[in-house]
Amino acid sequence: MLITNPLETSELAFPILEILHIAGFIIAIGTTAAVDFRILEIGGIQQTPSQISKSTSWWMLGGLLVAIFTGLGLYSTDPDMYYTNWSFLIKMACLILVIILNYTVHRKMAYENSTSGGAKIVALLSLLLWASVIFGGIFIAFIRGGL
Amino acid sequence: MLLDFAIWLQNTGLMRALRESDRGYETLLSLHVSFIALFGAMVAMTNTRLLGWALKQESVAAIIDQLRWPKRVGFLCVATCGFLLFGMKAEEYYLNIFFRIKILLFLTIAAHALVFRPSVYNTPSELEGPLGTPVRARAAAAIALVLWLGVVCAGRGIGYIHPPPFSHHFTSRLVMPKTRASHDSAGVLSSENISSPSESAIQKGEHYVDH
Repeated sequence: MLITNPLETSELAFPILEILHIAGFIIAIGTTAAVDFRILEIGGIQQTPSQISKSTSWWMLGGLLVAIFTGLGLYSTDPDMYYTNWSFLIKMACLILVIILNYTVHRKMAYENSTSGGAKIVALLSLLLWASVIFGGIFIAFIRGGL
Repeated sequence: MLLDFAIWLQNTGLMRALRESDRGYETLLSLHVSFIALFGAMVAMTNTRLLGWALKQESVAAIIDQLRWPKRVGFLCVATCGFLLFGMKAEEYYLNIFFRIKILLFLTIAAHALVFRPSVYNTPSELEGPLGTPVRARAAAAIALVLWLGVVCAGRGIGYIHPPPFSHHFTSRLVMPKTRASHDSAGVLSSENISSPSESAIQKGEHYVDH
């Protein structure tokens, strides 16, 4: 029995998933970046890192879940292409690393309101990894094969 | 006139150098999207607070006042990357219906700012009351969220429109075959080789058209 992916038969499905994917990561990355910039003491935000982190934690999780599940949908439209695209693989590696970082060291430092050198390095690393996720996602369409 | 400007802009030295660089377009696009993530989140935070949906433990004034300058810097970064992206292939963008919709939405956002900035965003301390934020402020926030979401949708839609074959009046010194990756209407990635111009056309300094 041939099973067709409904995302491949509908013309609007892929664009709608992409928009939701973008909205999800805007929320996830933006809320995390707010904590990072506060730890880095850039931007003049007066709330403490723990206040910002606690205020935005559910939004961050919601955005991340939307981004992940819509990403799975997008992946399902052409798994072979994504699996062999090294930009996509780098994106996934950075995404896994930043999720682990966010829910371990980053959260601990934010809740302790730490703005020490170590905390600033963690915040910079978080921003760099999230930027790598975005770059990796954009470059998927411009990289042909690779593996 | 606008089309002539677009063709002139895409053939200026800076835009030509960016277009002919190895990964210039992709890098600028990635930076554009990265800054959109930062700026978009700040816009979402401000307006969802006005609507009373999020960050309710912080005052409206605190959110609006503290995010005012970061939003301006963020928008400047987004707009700079956006202008450079536009300039690299101005003719193609000019002819793209989603790009035109995006510009219309920006003009609508500018009108929104003219209408609501004096009474809402510039007077956040007057928005705190026992009955919550006034209806006008909540309307401003809802309209802003819809407009900015429209900008994101239109921006993404740009990539789904294939440029017409006559839309690449580039001048270039390079004679290199190019491969362009693009998504078809179902979002499936494909690529096509674009034939390079003839040597004689380049030597004559003529404009050439990509196919």
